[in-house]
Order: sequence, then structure tokens, then C-alpha cells
Amino acid sequence: MTSRICNKAVDESALRGTAAFLAEYASLLSGCGATCIRIEKNARRLADSFGVEFDISIMPTHVYVSVWLDNPAEAVVAFRKTPACGISFNLNAKLSCLSWEVSDNNLGLTAATERFERIRRTKQSGKWETLFLTGLANASFCRLFGGDVIAMLIVFISTLAGYRLKQIMLEDKRDIRLTFLCASFFSAALSAGGHIFNIGSTPEIALGTSVLYLIPGVPYINSVSDLIYRHYLCGFSRFLDAAVLTVCLSTGLCAGMLLLGLKWF
Amino acid sequence: MCNDILINIFEDGLFAAIAAIGFSSISNTPRRAYLTCGLIAAAGHAIRYVLTSPEFGEIHIIPASVLASFAVGVLAVLFAGRIKCPAEVCFFPALLPMIPGMYAYRTIEALLSCLYHTQEDVFGHYFYLLAYNCMTCSFIILGLVVGATVPVFLFKKLSFTATR
Repeated sequence: MTSRICNKAVDESALRGTAAFLAEYASLLSGCGATCIRIEKNARRLADSFGVEFDISIMPTHVYVSVWLDNPAEAVVAFRKTPACGISFNLNAKLSCLSWEVSDNNLGLTAATERFERIRRTKQSGKWETLFLTGLANASFCRLFGGDVIAMLIVFISTLAGYRLKQIMLEDKRDIRLTFLCASFFSAALSAGGHIFNIGSTPEIALGTSVLYLIPGVPYINSVSDLIYRHYLCGFSRFLDAAVLTVCLSTGLCAGMLLLGLKWF
Repeated sequence: MCNDILINIFEDGLFAAIAAIGFSSISNTPRRAYLTCGLIAAAGHAIRYVLTSPEFGEIHIIPASVLASFAVGVLAVLFAGRIKCPAEVCFFPALLPMIPGMYAYRTIEALLSCLYHTQEDVFGHYFYLLAYNCMTCSFIILGLVVGATVPVFLFKKLSFTATR
């Protein structure tokens, strides 16, 4: 009798550990911008590998995980808040690889947790590298929309300035909406120089393109993926998040244009 | 003439690739994925350029975007396994250069013009511009995203074993 109670306690403790790990894993995957279908598939792969039955509920800001052995009535539930770690495809890819690694090599919970913690500490891409590449990318964007070389140069400079402001504000833990508004205002105000001083033949393209680096493309794409997979709540939540940021960047753009008195209406 | 078209297609693809690599760095994409992202973006944008150009049928930009993004989605699913990254890592940066930024800009421009002008005929003109640009922009974005996401669901097994 005592041994059975002892075994049950061990089982429950192991289940709690497994549930906590799966909830941590799923919430980090959600935080770094993975789609709901990927979170579900990866977490289920891990649960199958650990030999537990599993269910998951992905909410816009939290993840609930429930695991059990034989009797669903004795399920252990863990829930975690989605961390605001920012979109990171690097983390997404590493966490997906981890689920396969655990599943293919039959790694235990301890080894999986160790590797997970290592992945969690992954550093983000170099900020100067990102800054330079974003500037180049937005300048190329300008060219694709028909901008001339001068417009490309204006966009490159205004993107560098705006993106650097975004980096500084996010490092200072400022509100993301305010950050988007200020960055787009800054970029728009700088690129409006083309209009004001009549530089180049396509100043309007430079102005329109200068804020496009801020468009939250990943949440928009993920929201459609979630809608296709019938995760409507997450899909709408991601869409609204992205829409709010788009409104902020549009407001910054308009404010910049109005402040500088551009006569386009 | 033929050379000009080829140069235009190449130039279009090259700038799309630079844009894709730059924007993928914002989302902390692994460096090993940069080249693949760039190539897929170049292919996608070049396909749309060819489909919309007068020399090749001049298809409307919305169906052309859907076809190009579907091609991007298929390529992303096929190449994701090679770089051991999820398919969305490859197709997201490739879609960005196809986002109709100028339509979005003109929508905001028309919206502000609507608010500024009260005279009926002038207001009606800007309202037409607002509706036209907004609808075109929305449908292009929707088509892009659906077109690129569908292959992930069509080739589910391939898509979700890419990181194995």
C-alpha cells in the first residue's frame, strides 16, 4: 500500500516536471513567433517522446498544457505566460530542432531541459549588422517601387536613423506602440527632406518607402496561418496586434508629413 | 528588347533578394538561411514581374501576386529541409518585397485628402482613390499570405519535418 502511494507520488512529481517543461517550451515558441500548428506539433512530439498523453490550449498571451499517464481525470495542468522575447526565427528553428532531437534520440526530461535552457540563452543577431542590412533592404524596396538612386540614398539614411531609434527605445523597454510611432515619425520627417528641398525625381516614393521596414509582416502572416488551422482566437489576436502597430506607423508617417507642411492635399 | 527584359528581370530579382535578406535579419533569421531567403525572394518577385509585364500577358497584380507567392511557398517548403529551418523562415522574407507599399501609402494619402476636402466632387474623387488603393492593397496582401501558406498545409509532412 505504502509503495503504491510512493509510486503515485513519484509519477505525479514527474508529470508535474514534464507539464512544466512542455508549458515553458510552448510559451517560448509562441513568444518567438511560431504558428499555432507548429507549437502544437512540436509540443506533441516532445510529449510522445516522454511517454505521456498530452493536450494544449494556446491563448494569445498564455499557454495551457495538460499531461496525464492513463487517466485523463488525473491530468496535471501547467500554464505559462508567453514571454515578450520578440520575433526570432533563430529560436523558432532551434526549438523545432530540439523537439526532433529529443524524439529521435529518446532524450530524457533532464537532458531536454538542459538543451532548452541553452537555447533560451541564445543571443539575438548583432544590432549593427541588422541595422545596416535593414537600411540596405529598405533602399532596395525603394528601387523596386520605382525610386531613383537619390531616393534610395534618402531611404537608406532615414531607415538607419529610424531603426536605430527603434532599437534604443526597445532597449529602454519603451512601449512598442510608442516606439513604432516615434520611429516612423523620425524616418518620415527625414525622408521628407527630398520633397522639401526638391532632391531627386521620385521624392514621394522615398517618403512612402521610408517607414516600410516597420510593417509587422510576421504577425500578419502567422495570423492567416492560424486562421487556416482554425485557431481563430490567436489568429485575430495576432492580426489586431499587427493592425495596431500599422496604425501607429501610419500615424507617425502622417504626423511627420503634416508637421513639415507637405502640400500633397 | 529581349536583353532589356532579361536585365529588368535580373535587376528586379537582385533588389528583391537584398530586401529579403535585410528584412529577414530583423526577425533574427539564422545566417545559414540568408542565401536561400534571397534566392526564393528573387524567384518570387521575378515571377510576379514577368506575369505583370506587358510582354507576358499583363496579368492583374492580384492574381499575379497569388501565383508568385504560391511558387514562393512551394520553394520554401522544398528548401526548408536543406537549411534545417521551418518553411515560414524562408517564405516570410521572400514575401516582403511583394508587399504593395505604394498602394498602402496612397491609401493613407487619399484618406487624409478625404478628411481635408469637404466639396462633394473632390471628396468623391479622393474617396474613389481611397477605396481603389485600399482594396487593391488588402487583396494583394491577403493573396500573398494565403498563396504562400497553402503549400505548408498541402505538404504538411515535408513542412514539419524540415528541422529534423
